[in-house]
Amino acid sequence: MENKTIRKFKWFWAWQDEAEEAWLREMSNEGCHLSRIGFPTIYEFEPGEPNDFVYRLDYQWKMEKEDYLQLFGDSGWENVGEMSGWHYFRQAAQTGEELEIYTDTESKIGKYQRLLTFLGILMLPLFFTIMNLNNLAPYGWMSIIQLFVALLLVLYVYAIIRILLRIRQLKRI
Amino acid sequence: MKNNIKLKKYLPLTEATYYIMLALIEPLHGYGVMQKVEQISQETVKVGPGTLYGAFSSLEKEGLIEMVSEEQRRKCYQLTDKGRQVLVGQIDRLEIMSANGLPVREQLVIMLDNGKKR
Repeated sequence: MENKTIRKFKWFWAWQDEAEEAWLREMSNEGCHLSRIGFPTIYEFEPGEPNDFVYRLDYQWKMEKEDYLQLFGDSGWENVGEMSGWHYFRQAAQTGEELEIYTDTESKIGKYQRLLTFLGILMLPLFFTIMNLNNLAPYGWMSIIQLFVALLLVLYVYAIIRILLRIRQLKRI
Repeated sequence: MKNNIKLKKYLPLTEATYYIMLALIEPLHGYGVMQKVEQISQETVKVGPGTLYGAFSSLEKEGLIEMVSEEQRRKCYQLTDKGRQVLVGQIDRLEIMSANGLPVREQLVIMLDNGKKR
């Protein structure tokens, strides 16, 4: 029997990492095991025996990759892939034990703060574009570009609010 | 004295950071730290790799720990003198906390026992 890779396109926003983890676990229950993540969020699954894999997503963009992956590997987390700063790990579920890569609130908040920093940096060119819109856009294209930039800006602000809310929720626990 | 004031900014340490630093009294690599913390804390504290990686990065950046050797591609870290001073400060704080808590604990146990009898 030939094993065929299953490709799925599914979109998760940056603040939906836990929903994504849960979805990947459900897929593993059905015998679809993540083998690769492609841009933008195309998931490749290897069909196999149904298994209960716990997936965890970490966000890191400034690290020594070798040390980082070694540490996760040593503690039982298999690295499945990476997509724009998000690192995907999995480990077979164990009864009576909750598997977490972040074991306290402070460090879990740290992950979302790194995400916020990245979004903040991304916002700079967007801001620059808005300030210089009159010079940059050819006449007639203005309204379309303006609309696009405005939409992007709204999305950014919304993403930042969602992540801030997540941090606040974590602080309350 | 001036030195002490500077070190105070690191205190109090989080429970995870405290145990990580305790473990680094001897050179250890990341996974070694995770195992030792679980063991010495009598399994009350577990440190996941995400938490540990972040702690290692910031402790190294602040000069509280340093890499001392490499073992099968794994970097081994140990406390620096600055780290040792911070850890002494934390242990002193914990001693005060526990000295305050122990007599109250006795009272609490008595109160709870009386509550049960009623």
